Amino acid sequence: MPEFEPRILAFCCNWCSYAGADLAGVSRLQMPPNIHIIRVMCSGNVKPEYVVKSLVEGVDGVLVLGCHIGDCHYISGNHRTIKRFALLERLMDDLGIDKRRIRVDWVSASEGEKFQKVVSEFVAQVKSLGPNDIRRDAA
Amino acid sequence: MKEDAAKICRRLLDSREVDGVLGLEMVGNIPTPKVFAQADDLGRFEVEPVFPIVTLLRNIWPFTGKERIALVVRGCHELAIKELAKREIVDLKRIHMVGMACSEEQARTCRCLRPYPTKTDIGTKVKGVEDELAKSLRKMTLEERGRFWEEQFKKCNKCYGCSENCPVCVCEDCALEDCAFVRTEGIPPSKAFHIIRAYHVADKCIECGECERSCPVAIPLRSLQRMLADDIKELFGYQAGMDDRQSPVVTTLEDAPLKEESE
Repeated sequence: MPEFEPRILAFCCNWCSYAGADLAGVSRLQMPPNIHIIRVMCSGNVKPEYVVKSLVEGVDGVLVLGCHIGDCHYISGNHRTIKRFALLERLMDDLGIDKRRIRVDWVSASEGEKFQKVVSEFVAQVKSLGPNDIRRDAA
Repeated sequence: MKEDAAKICRRLLDSREVDGVLGLEMVGNIPTPKVFAQADDLGRFEVEPVFPIVTLLRNIWPFTGKERIALVVRGCHELAIKELAKREIVDLKRIHMVGMACSEEQARTCRCLRPYPTKTDIGTKVKGVEDELAKSLRKMTLEERGRFWEEQFKKCNKCYGCSENCPVCVCEDCALEDCAFVRTEGIPPSKAFHIIRAYHVADKCIECGECERSCPVAIPLRSLQRMLADDIKELFGYQAGMDDRQSPVVTTLEDAPLKEESE
């Protein structure tokens, strides 16, 4: 049986993390090919609904990457991200859904290596969790 | 209790302190919501059973002008009105609240921690009741909890009762009615329905239990909200209805720093 390859969505903010991903690419850093990047203007406009929807539609894990706290292009956009996802993770825990399928992290434009590290770690983590079981047909 | 309530409301109407009393009227055996404008109608005034009176108040609010409205509030109703006023959906200056304490039996059915308003005009205060189901859910493992909720959510027939009757479910464009998040077809709905509903009311839920009371298949949503309220208190030190400050989910980190920030 072939090894389980998770499908992972990464929401990257335009100003830091997307540039960080770009840097990781041009620096030829090796990382697993399981992630699909969606560029958003700010991590603060990633609604928890988007993340819930992706999980319900069958994505195995969701990464939300933004600028470091204090470096947000929109001053306080990521303050919202951190609070929203802290709450969403608690809610998922209450409902008996593994919150390790979500990860919020900060990657700046100069941190190509951190991007590689976060992605590799997260892919390994989701791989160990196995396929997503909160899909629509399972619910 | 209802005689006392009717007496107070009659006095308010007679003295022209308020222009109408929002409450229940007995039509045959059925308590029906009504705005009493004449003191003489108060003969059929009723306060039982527990009714989503704040949801009604919110729904009729756009149609009121300068009228002042009185209503009999329980502990949870009072907090809900406060939450709505915080979001400028209703105006506290035009609302007269007549506080009523719930009976012991009612507090037990609701698993209510605070079955009395700040100012009690009618009834006597009774002690709050702990939510045993929420407590036992906390003690379960993640898998057990997942299985429990899965069994419960299987019963859901997506009637939207929990969101329609909720006093604080107030978004103008409802995410639950958006087919992008919850598919139009299919019963039971995906878990997204329940996660999004709980998340949306998390920072304003005052634990009236109206979601559970409206649920035709008796999903214990009240316990979920209880657990979530505990989480919010732990994360942000915030209690909906009790705190005067803005909900922490819509503010910056300055007034409520999280643990992650100090790293």
